Amino acid sequence: MKREPFVLGIESTAHTFSAAVVNRRGGLLSDVRDVYIPREGSGIHPTEASNHHSAIAASVIRDALVAASVGPGEIDAIAYSMGPGLGPCLRVGAVCARTLALSLSKPLIPVNHAVGHIELGCMLTGAKTPLVLLISGGHTMVLSCSSGVWRVLGETLDLTLGQLLDQLGRHVGYASPCGRRIEEEAGESHRYLSLPYTVKGNDVSFSGLLTAAKRLSDSGVPFQDVCFSVQETAFATTVEVTERALAFTGNKEVMVVGGVAANKRLAQMLKIMTGRHSAKLSVVPIRFSGDCGAQIAWTGLLELESGISVDPEAGGIRQSWRLDTVELPWRFGS
Amino acid sequence: MKLVYRGAEADIYSGDWAGANAIYKFRKQLPYRLPELDAVIRTQRTVHEAQILHESKSAGVKCPFLYYVSPREALIVMQEIAGPRLKTVLQSSDWEKGSVPSKFGVAVGKLHSAGIMHGDLTTSNAIVNDEGVNLIDFGLAIRSVRVEDHAVDLRLIKETLVGAHSSISMAVLKSFLEGYAGVVGERRATEVNRKLTEIERRGRYARVE
Repeated sequence: MKREPFVLGIESTAHTFSAAVVNRRGGLLSDVRDVYIPREGSGIHPTEASNHHSAIAASVIRDALVAASVGPGEIDAIAYSMGPGLGPCLRVGAVCARTLALSLSKPLIPVNHAVGHIELGCMLTGAKTPLVLLISGGHTMVLSCSSGVWRVLGETLDLTLGQLLDQLGRHVGYASPCGRRIEEEAGESHRYLSLPYTVKGNDVSFSGLLTAAKRLSDSGVPFQDVCFSVQETAFATTVEVTERALAFTGNKEVMVVGGVAANKRLAQMLKIMTGRHSAKLSVVPIRFSGDCGAQIAWTGLLELESGISVDPEAGGIRQSWRLDTVELPWRFGS
Repeated sequence: MKLVYRGAEADIYSGDWAGANAIYKFRKQLPYRLPELDAVIRTQRTVHEAQILHESKSAGVKCPFLYYVSPREALIVMQEIAGPRLKTVLQSSDWEKGSVPSKFGVAVGKLHSAGIMHGDLTTSNAIVNDEGVNLIDFGLAIRSVRVEDHAVDLRLIKETLVGAHSSISMAVLKSFLEGYAGVVGERRATEVNRKLTEIERRGRYARVE
């Protein structure tokens, strides 16, 4: 029987440092994470986050190998998130990956973090070439694959959904990420207060909404009403542009990935919308909707099979690396 | 009446209005949206769309005649323009015939010269016939002479071309811009195009060059 390669993936774009091992036959063999938690009321401090990553990197990688019952010598390639993300955080993962690649004499594979979200999502949900809604702290994009590239059909013009929720939460003293707490607060209210509803063509914008929401909150409106109104408005605009893209492409599959995919109200709205178009909605399981090593390891495996790798000398980081500039050979046919 | 298109926000029926072929556009309730939010958006967009459609037609833009508006039902009745969508034309092998992309540029140029931003210029929202390229679906249109807003229109065109017609996108865009510049003038076209590049650079993770 042919031996299927094992790929170690290292993720370190933002608050999460994670390592995972995958294999065609065994699937996800391990996925170990350690998340940097900022102080109450603040967001990710890049230097503090990278210090956190440096301190726990070796043990996370070791734990991932142990959990997968794979020795360092059995690893066939090392994949890492090259970007986009926070420079100091990305550098920790890149240094670990280069070191391992050099010491083990194995190929080093650069992975675009956003592509990682999508490819892992497709693997876990069984979606083939879906219309993708990628919603996280770093992205809010509607994507469709054509000629091996994920093309952007609509996106945010300013803040991402994750940033909107985080910045609203931090305004009242929560620590990032605030999505879950905001969802809980919103669940306590049914009182809708009018907020800016911004759809421009197929793009959305949340900066005006955030300012208006902060003002509402400062003026003494119960925070749960603010959360409810923000979710209803922001999610409705997001679902509206997704529906536009769906009507335009005629796709029969929609997949939602990224940290904000964990929000149940959003998933419910998407479910209603896709139902109207007889399209199948796939939501990535909550455990894998946020940042994780598995997304890097799995995409790294796909890249390895397509012969993509980089010399350790050239294996730097790309803080700004747009998803729609990445060519994916395994998707050329779609 | 016959359902001809189920869009993202409206259902489009083809029917008759005083003996003429007409399009009935119903802004349907979107059940995923909170009802009170939904009602406001549907009424506002219906009234606004009818006004802008009327203004565009008055300014000589190739677009449907407005026949009837009912804000309560979120309904607009307008002239039916026969012909294939630009999207279909660009997907066919002889898309270059009849300089369609350039005529699309002319239509958008006239709209912008009339001080209107379309707001949803995908290749599905243009109909090709013997008279040229006609613009439809003014649901997101606004009155604006701002370079920024006109550039946002061009950005969506570019996004759609690259997203849905990637292999011919650059050629189509070039000829579109020639038609556009022919109407708004070289100077204005350059200004709008420069703004378009600026907007793209503002995009998340866009390369700053």
